[in-house]
Amino acid sequence: MLELDITGRPAGRTARRVHEEGATLAVHALTITDEELVVRSKDGDVESFNQLITRWERPIYALAYRTLGREEDARDVCQETFFRAHRALKGFKGEAKFSSWLYRIALNLCRDWMRRQRRTPTVQMPEDTDIAELAAEGGPVESIETLVARRELGRAAERAMATLPDEQRTAIILKEYHGLTFQEIADLQGCPLSTVKTRLYQGLSVVRRQLEERGMSVADIRRDAS
Amino acid sequence: MSTRFSCDDTESLVAYLYDEADPVLRNAVEQHLVECARCRDEVAALGGVRHALAQWTPAAPPLRFSVVQTPLPPAADPPASPVIRPRVASWQTVPVWAQVAAATLAVAVGAAVANVQVRHDAQGWTVSTGWMAPVSPTAARPSADESWKPALAALETSLRGDLRATAVATAAAPAVAPAARPVADGDTLARVRDLIEASERRQQQELALRLTQFNRDVDIQRRADLVRIDQGIGQLEGRTGAEVQRQRQMLDLIVRAGLRPPQ
Repeated sequence: MLELDITGRPAGRTARRVHEEGATLAVHALTITDEELVVRSKDGDVESFNQLITRWERPIYALAYRTLGREEDARDVCQETFFRAHRALKGFKGEAKFSSWLYRIALNLCRDWMRRQRRTPTVQMPEDTDIAELAAEGGPVESIETLVARRELGRAAERAMATLPDEQRTAIILKEYHGLTFQEIADLQGCPLSTVKTRLYQGLSVVRRQLEERGMSVADIRRDAS
Repeated sequence: MSTRFSCDDTESLVAYLYDEADPVLRNAVEQHLVECARCRDEVAALGGVRHALAQWTPAAPPLRFSVVQTPLPPAADPPASPVIRPRVASWQTVPVWAQVAAATLAVAVGAAVANVQVRHDAQGWTVSTGWMAPVSPTAARPSADESWKPALAALETSLRGDLRATAVATAAAPAVAPAARPVADGDTLARVRDLIEASERRQQQELALRLTQFNRDVDIQRRADLVRIDQGIGQLEGRTGAEVQRQRQMLDLIVRAGLRPPQ
């Protein structure tokens, strides 16, 4: 008799974690597919399911974070997503990609969370800018000024995204950060392909307007960056 | 086959922006952009928005979730689904029966330390605590528990007096039998019978009380032993689980270290 308990294990220092994750991803890229791991997991191989978690916990967390705007909630949603996926794995027929199935679970959880809280996504107040942290995060040729400007731009984008309606924000998140196709987004959102494109266009236009209201000329952003 | 692109065709513009337009449509959009400055600015602006969005990177807290298998007690029913208990207080993970047993044990220990004594006798329930010698109920209530003593003394006096009187009467007039004697003897016997019955009742009550206390002590000790056994088993299981977890983490670390690219 087994009791299954999904737990979060504390990791070590950031640099080591990034390195370990890179190594893990490299190994996974060379080895078996999600579908094979799903089959093994269905047969009761817990380690295979743990590999799936390792592959997808970052994207799912990022999706939840960008949708909800709060680290703690995103972590809870991420954990709950894998819990539900594990519980429902026997019923997963493989008609869609495993990742799409996970995204659907996570998005449903996010939607439920938003309904329960009856609130729009929050923008978590960033801590004071740590120059050393910034320097470690940027490439070797980037100046501190560039790094600070990049971070400010990201924060402005985050604030603008928080003002979007759920459907537009979700469509942009799935497209921009997860690289889903229009069709995959349409399947997840349960709407026609044309609706997805409209949502993307309208959402991007709102973000553009918000950035311009903050004095950022979006047409020049890319030119400056390049 | 040629496709025309117009300025208000936002769907095609988005498809072009995200590189999901088919080659024909892409050519049409590109041709249009050469001619239309407004659409060219639009595409540049949306590209800038996409670049800004790309700068939004969420913090990366440590996650590393994993499914952990822990053995269940054999008596427990199989769960319908996996159980997740990520952020609960430790006491909430203890089964209800164990909490009840622990509470019972705590009460029993407290009662033993406080030397709680509960008695039931002819005067009703008596609860006493503490280790000092208890005040004898008989001393505290002489009129209640020692009421038989004066009666017995009176009986003795009466019997002695009767004996003396009998001896004198026998010596003085042996042929004459006093008329009142049978009545006096009957009263005395009835009183003696009552006293004996009261004494037997008290003894039976005392015996029942002692037996009840003995049974209760045995029951408390049994429960305490069961709790101790359960705790011992729980600690053993916890140690085993922790050891397995440690070994898994070490293996994980070794594998990751082996995969680390040379510096």
